[in-house]
Amino acid sequence: MVKSGMVNLVQAELRKLLWLPTAWVGLLLGLVAAPALVLVSAGGTRRAIEEGIAGDPSDTAFQPLGIGLLGALILGVVAVSSEYTSTGEDAPRARQLTTTLTAMPRRYRLVAAKAVALSLLVAVQGAITAVATLVLTEVVLGPLVPPADPGRAAAAVLYWVLLGLLSYALTLIFRNGIVTLTVLIVNSSVVSVSYLLTKVTPLAAYLPDIVGAHMFLNEVGDVDIAPLTAGLVMTAWVTALLGLGAWLFERREA
Amino acid sequence: MITVEGVTRVRGRTRILHEVGFTARPGRVTGFLGPNGAGKTSTLRVLLGLDRPQAGRALIDGRRYAELERPLTVAGALLDGSGAHRSRTARAHLRWVAASNGLPKGRVDEVLELVGLSADAGKRAGRYSLGMSRRLGLATALLGDPPVLILDEPVNGLDPAGIRWMRTFLRERADQGRTVLLSSHLMGELAETADDVVIIDQGRVVSAGTLAEVVGDHPTLEDAFLARTASRGAAW
Repeated sequence: MVKSGMVNLVQAELRKLLWLPTAWVGLLLGLVAAPALVLVSAGGTRRAIEEGIAGDPSDTAFQPLGIGLLGALILGVVAVSSEYTSTGEDAPRARQLTTTLTAMPRRYRLVAAKAVALSLLVAVQGAITAVATLVLTEVVLGPLVPPADPGRAAAAVLYWVLLGLLSYALTLIFRNGIVTLTVLIVNSSVVSVSYLLTKVTPLAAYLPDIVGAHMFLNEVGDVDIAPLTAGLVMTAWVTALLGLGAWLFERREA
Repeated sequence: MITVEGVTRVRGRTRILHEVGFTARPGRVTGFLGPNGAGKTSTLRVLLGLDRPQAGRALIDGRRYAELERPLTVAGALLDGSGAHRSRTARAHLRWVAASNGLPKGRVDEVLELVGLSADAGKRAGRYSLGMSRRLGLATALLGDPPVLILDEPVNGLDPAGIRWMRTFLRERADQGRTVLLSSHLMGELAETADDVVIIDQGRVVSAGTLAEVVGDHPTLEDAFLARTASRGAAW
């Protein structure tokens, strides 16, 4: 009974996410961004490799995958923020969350079901994107880059799933998608505070938004972290923050 | 059967519910009556496990709502608004709710038909009128065909035809042996619909019983209500 109950909850959360236009922005952005970056940057990348300034050549195929994490971030945010959106002008304080909690009142189970649904979506999206990006790189750059290691591709997909869960956890904590997106997107694309901090202390390289890149890239910043270590540190961050988010969600008034 | 016992709730420094207690029985429409801000919605939210009381308990068939397995098959609730995300269609909304409680997909079309929304099932909830939103909320409450219905101001925003429809609809549910609890600040409406009445004012139950008992010697329910809540009414 408990098991079938959990399956129902995950199905409901999958339906919720898949029938939301904003979630599709995340899904499509995640799917398209990385392969598009391969095409756009092909010329520059080729020149960099030929001139010997490209760094570790085995990273070349994987670097574009970094941008696709935007999709995972958006999905993680939307999974929570859509619950808090006002349902309409007639009842400005009414939100989908009320329906969710009357249908699924056990809150820890609900948080878990959302996490599973989100992970499944991001994993599928990540796998498709990784394959498309690596094949495209092979086609565009050919013999200039070494064949991609499937283990690293799997690590990149896992990294996306963890980032999706990280943004989900942060949105649970802040109850606001804008805060999460600002922290994670600005930090990962415009000015990385975490990266600047690594100039102060190498320990900053273990912060949750940047440590994960070590899971599938050899050269990230100035600090060397083994892929397995990076994966474990990232998982620990996500587990801790998700635990905090779930605890707050359980205690707060809906 | 709904049992509320000694529910006290404090928000910030304000005591918004003070040892609230009453029952709503199967086969009857119980009207939960009180001025705006008296604690009606707060009580219903405690009953549905959305908010937590500092003392007391609120039970549905002897169990707390949050402990119910597949709660939609035990109690259906209608609160503020439609409860649907505004960019979702009514059908998509009802489908995920049905999935969450393992209810068959066919139920979705049945409840849409029941509340008269079949023709608009493909419209986004954000484009619904107030009356349509209430109907969608009611459809959600009915998905699990529950023996208990809990409705917060169900006739708010309905036109006269909609009000009559809702009244008849709830009467039929009670006649089928279900427990119907509805809150309202409209006394005339409740006098038409309710078998039993609970009056709440400033977070306290000031009167409860059958409609006849609560009206007592007063000419109307409205007079009885104003007499019980006179402490506040004077300002008008």
